[in-house]
Amino acid sequence: MIGRVVALARKELRQLFASPIAYVVGTAYVALTGIYFFQHLVSYNQLLFVYQSEGLTGGGFDQGTVPSQINVLNEVFVPSADDFGLFLLVVLPLVTMRVFAEERANGTDELLLTSGLRPWEVAFAKHGVTYLFVLLLLAASAIYPAVVVARAGLGFEHLFALYVGQLCYGCAIASIGLACSSFTSSQIVAAVIGYAIPFVMLDFAWLSNAVSEEVAGRLKEIALLSHYGTFPRGVIELSHVTYFASIVFLGWLASLTSLELGRAR
Amino acid sequence: MSARIEAQSVSKRFGPVVALDALSLEIAPGEIFGLIGPNGAGKTTFIRILTGYRLASQGDVRVDGISVTTDRFRVQAKLGYACEQPKLYGDHTVDAFLRFMGQVRGLSGARLRAAIGLSVERMGLEPVRRRRISVLSKGFRQRVALAQALLHDPSLLVVDEPTVGLDPAQQIELRRIIAGFRGTHTVVLCTHQLHEAQMICDRVALLDRGRLAAIATAEQLRADGSLEALFLARVGQPIHSEGAA
Repeated sequence: MIGRVVALARKELRQLFASPIAYVVGTAYVALTGIYFFQHLVSYNQLLFVYQSEGLTGGGFDQGTVPSQINVLNEVFVPSADDFGLFLLVVLPLVTMRVFAEERANGTDELLLTSGLRPWEVAFAKHGVTYLFVLLLLAASAIYPAVVVARAGLGFEHLFALYVGQLCYGCAIASIGLACSSFTSSQIVAAVIGYAIPFVMLDFAWLSNAVSEEVAGRLKEIALLSHYGTFPRGVIELSHVTYFASIVFLGWLASLTSLELGRAR
Repeated sequence: MSARIEAQSVSKRFGPVVALDALSLEIAPGEIFGLIGPNGAGKTTFIRILTGYRLASQGDVRVDGISVTTDRFRVQAKLGYACEQPKLYGDHTVDAFLRFMGQVRGLSGARLRAAIGLSVERMGLEPVRRRRISVLSKGFRQRVALAQALLHDPSLLVVDEPTVGLDPAQQIELRRIIAGFRGTHTVVLCTHQLHEAQMICDRVALLDRGRLAAIATAEQLRADGSLEALFLARVGQPIHSEGAA
């Protein structure tokens, strides 16, 4: 059983890195996160410069003092984490769209599903490899915040929590994309739905005027951003991890259901 | 040991379309059994039910007494399947693809290497084993499809349209390979080529609109005339004779 899953996972990895999508997505993600992180860093330095400059001595600030809320955490880490999350949402559906849909379009699902592989093994291997890719993406972009943490004395727990949060968030988005890919043979359809669902779930604020306060509150509870926000502050809450794990599980279950339903078609 | 197949009143509906209508047949161990019929007769649907890829709406297929409906993975362990228009991973080399399929079939280490070596030799794939599947000719791709189906030494080999699109030399070669399985494997061969079925099959079932229109042994075909005559008698006249006075 494990041998079959490992063989399929290797095949998935080979196919992922045989296509240019993985490299384009990886490069785009690392470049975007780098540029935006650097931008936040520059803005933070400018703020420090303004607050510490002599010209402000008579303007309400003591020379050389900086308000406590102006710090690396608030000015660099948290906004960068928000950007990083958005970039994950932009790039991941491009990776997930082909995973099941391509197999179905080429007819190779018939080869897999008549070779003794259990549908849960197929879903498990495909989801697992995609989450591994998310991990690789995050690892490649970890250098920027890691340097800042090391130089600014922010504390390793912030870096750790940020990446636990990003991993949870990225896997949840990937899981939704994979579920979409498993229900269609069109990669375009998979990508469009794979974008639409996370964007709708991102923050239900756009619905708040159309629904009652109570419903708006409930919707906020299931919004992706509501559960992502505490991680960059160095807090890993079990409830948030459970929320993302539930989405990952539901995505896997949806893929499995799609494979099983395909047999009855 | 080769497998025995029993199909019992197998029906398959796709919405209002009846693809298979209470099809019953038996295939003996070691037999090369042909499935022929016009497009839409239900040949591929039957094969997909037999291989566990699709579920019958009614009825069941049993391989050595094991139900495909309730225990498909045990049936799949016994069968090797080469799909119509070989569905392979073009970005893999022949070697990598066979290794992957062998591992999926539960082979590893020396057993896997031996199985790949044997399949490669049987199918004459040695000259192309390090080439990518996407650059191979149709004939070689068909051979790769058959090679992967044989890796785990199945007792049942299911082959769907193996000679479509091949040049005559490749067709002759592939028929020779399939005929070589007589007695050692049960072979279910789905084909549009009537002469091919007549040449290599021990028995042939003619399907028409999801039903079993006729079933004949090689001896009966030789005695009664060609398979073409049987086809025309049971399924219909060729297009050019329609409307003829």
